[in-house]
Amino acid sequence: MPGLSSLGSSLAGTLRRKAAKVRLVLIRLARRATHAFRASLRLRIMTSALVMGVLAVAALGLYLSTSVRDGMVERRLEAIDSESAALTANAEEQFQSSVVMDEQQAQQLMSSVAARILQSASTVEAVFLVHPTGTQPQVSDVIIPDSMGTQQRELLTDELRRENSELREREATNEQVMQFTEVRDPVRDEVTPGVVVGTSVQIPQAGPYEIYYVYSLQPEQEILTFMHRVLGTGAAFVLLLIGLITAMVSRQTVAPVTRAAAVAERLADGHLDERLPGATGIDEMSTLSRSFNAMADSLQQQIQQMEELSKAQRQFVSDVSHELRTPLTTIRMAGDVIHAARDQLDPAASRSAELLSDQVERFEILLADLLEISRFDAGAAVLDAEQQDLGDVVTSVVQMAQPLAENKAVPISVDLQRPGNSVADFDPRRIERIVRNLVVNAIEHAEGRPVEVTVAHDAHAVAVVVRDYGVGMTVQEVEHVFDRFWRADPARTRTTGGTGLGLAIAHEDARLHAGRLEAWGRPGRGASFRLTLPRRAGITLNSSPVPLVPDSHEPAVTTDQIPVVHPPTGPQPTNIPDLEIH
Amino acid sequence: MKSRVLVVDDDTALAEMIGIVLRGEGLEPIFCTDGDGALPMARTHQPDLILLDVMLPGKDGVQVCREIRAESGVPIIMLTAKSDTVDVVLGLESGADDYISKPFKPKELVARVKARLRRTEDPGPERLQVGDIDVDVTGHTVTRAGEKIALTPLEFDLLVELARKPWQVFTREVLLERVWGYRHSADTRLVNVHVQRLRSKIERDPENPEIVLTVRGVGYKAGTPQ
Repeated sequence: MPGLSSLGSSLAGTLRRKAAKVRLVLIRLARRATHAFRASLRLRIMTSALVMGVLAVAALGLYLSTSVRDGMVERRLEAIDSESAALTANAEEQFQSSVVMDEQQAQQLMSSVAARILQSASTVEAVFLVHPTGTQPQVSDVIIPDSMGTQQRELLTDELRRENSELREREATNEQVMQFTEVRDPVRDEVTPGVVVGTSVQIPQAGPYEIYYVYSLQPEQEILTFMHRVLGTGAAFVLLLIGLITAMVSRQTVAPVTRAAAVAERLADGHLDERLPGATGIDEMSTLSRSFNAMADSLQQQIQQMEELSKAQRQFVSDVSHELRTPLTTIRMAGDVIHAARDQLDPAASRSAELLSDQVERFEILLADLLEISRFDAGAAVLDAEQQDLGDVVTSVVQMAQPLAENKAVPISVDLQRPGNSVADFDPRRIERIVRNLVVNAIEHAEGRPVEVTVAHDAHAVAVVVRDYGVGMTVQEVEHVFDRFWRADPARTRTTGGTGLGLAIAHEDARLHAGRLEAWGRPGRGASFRLTLPRRAGITLNSSPVPLVPDSHEPAVTTDQIPVVHPPTGPQPTNIPDLEIH
Repeated sequence: MKSRVLVVDDDTALAEMIGIVLRGEGLEPIFCTDGDGALPMARTHQPDLILLDVMLPGKDGVQVCREIRAESGVPIIMLTAKSDTVDVVLGLESGADDYISKPFKPKELVARVKARLRRTEDPGPERLQVGDIDVDVTGHTVTRAGEKIALTPLEFDLLVELARKPWQVFTREVLLERVWGYRHSADTRLVNVHVQRLRSKIERDPENPEIVLTVRGVGYKAGTPQ
């Protein structure tokens, strides 16, 4: 029946899903519990204390109840042993002193003796007089009271009877066999622990009979139950007490630790005046507080010292800046005025005017770069970030570098990939400076071969790679390329100008953006510089949208191609009358 | 008539050099070497423009600028040796129209000075409206519902530039070129600071501008006439 089987399978599927859901919930609960357990020292302390407490109380309870039970039962068994022996002796006496003619009289005698035993010994629950050979209950067996007859097979086990017959064979008639058993009260239908004691008696006209007494251990059982109840209550009380004590103690010990952690966190957040209270005592916690506060003091002092140093350095930089710049401005203006009037000078003075003008400019750039670097060192560089498209910055830089590129006959191409998508938060002044530096460097080292600028982006970052196919760098040179005043080839670069600080500043600028500036190069194959910027503050860069090391060592455009710049497509803001206003 | 330029600088060599350059451009420089003397000089000589050094003995340039601005709308150009953001913004917020970082080229100085002195008067009366503001370009007055609003010449120029083409969005670079006379892209903070100052004077609620609107990521435009 396909219908039924499909129903079955769908039912199984439902069950499976349900089971999976339940498992999921359980796993989640377990995880949450594990997390809570790992997160809280107090919870751990309390749990371990309670587990130890439970184990200790359980062991103690077990020991107590076992030893009390054993002691009690042992004494009771001794009493039962002597009592049953006395009963047997008494019964034997009665049998011997009676005159019995036949088996019927013997039967009557047995019944009356058993009844008398039951009457005289109040602790005996039942008396069995059993014919020794029969494994099944015999007609001649006497059972007092009658109601216990149904339990004969259960009470008088084969083992018990075998032991009894062994006693008889050894003629150890004054010894008894004993076995624990369970006695069922037929009226109240209760099962209580009991003991069966047995031996043999000689009955006139009937020969040897086995005699068994059934004792109930009900009173002992009751005492034990009572004792267990008392012990259980006591254990619960003790455990509760342990829990309370642990909670209190852990509160006392963990609370200062928690407080210390909170204060440490506040310190880490820059609240340097935060201190731990309770440092006046002599206990461990006070010692902790004192050491902690001493640490905080020293930390605060160091930070303040650093701040003062940094402030002093900033002030120095600012002063130097002002003091140097004012005379430099005068020199500059004087130089320019002389330079403008150089036609009226003799050739030597005219050339001097030109040199003066050029070198003053160089001096100016060097001073500006030095001040920029010292601002980074003083931690005084401020990021003035706004949302901008890296593609726009790159395009404008390349357009500005175009005259230089044409002058050096270097074809320069820009690949914007998808224009308008490289938007990120950055300081346009700094990023423009980095890109300009990379592009101008590439043009100067390209030796007439192409320079390729690629802008790329992914979800987290925007990047630009500037690649040239010029002289290139060795691996050692790449390592030092961002060092201050480092020059790959002093003789050559000196002529093209530059302060030797450009790439160092670019590197610092990139770092200020939490971005990366990386270099690659091989002698004769050219060099590649990659700037990667996170799209927003708080993004940590793990990768870049574009590879630094190029796949190909041949330029994509041929060298004789005219310089190409792909302008950014899309609307020019100033030309659009009905732009949406935010 | 020659325009008179007050040069406030304690460095006499630089002041003299600036004087040489300005005279070469047909301007008439007068000099003041400390901060305390600047305000009285400005009062007595009524210069057409003030070149003001930031670091001065006596009162510093920012303070002097604030005092002059309190009683006059005369164009003020700060000479600053500091290009750090805080110093520049502080100078601009004290009321300076423009700033030049030392060291500067003579041409640069002249270009800025001339841009501030330039008064391009259009032939015939011209009246503009932005939001609920009336701008009388010829009479050089700005009124809201008949009530006059005092603006410095620079703020006035900025407003007029925006109001003449209310359909156009101006980037900061374009405004720098048209109002300040910069030919290359320069510090766009100039524009931001002055737009804030202009707004504080003409907007009913500067937090919610209706006259000078920001077009995010692009620049500024004038509000529609009401």
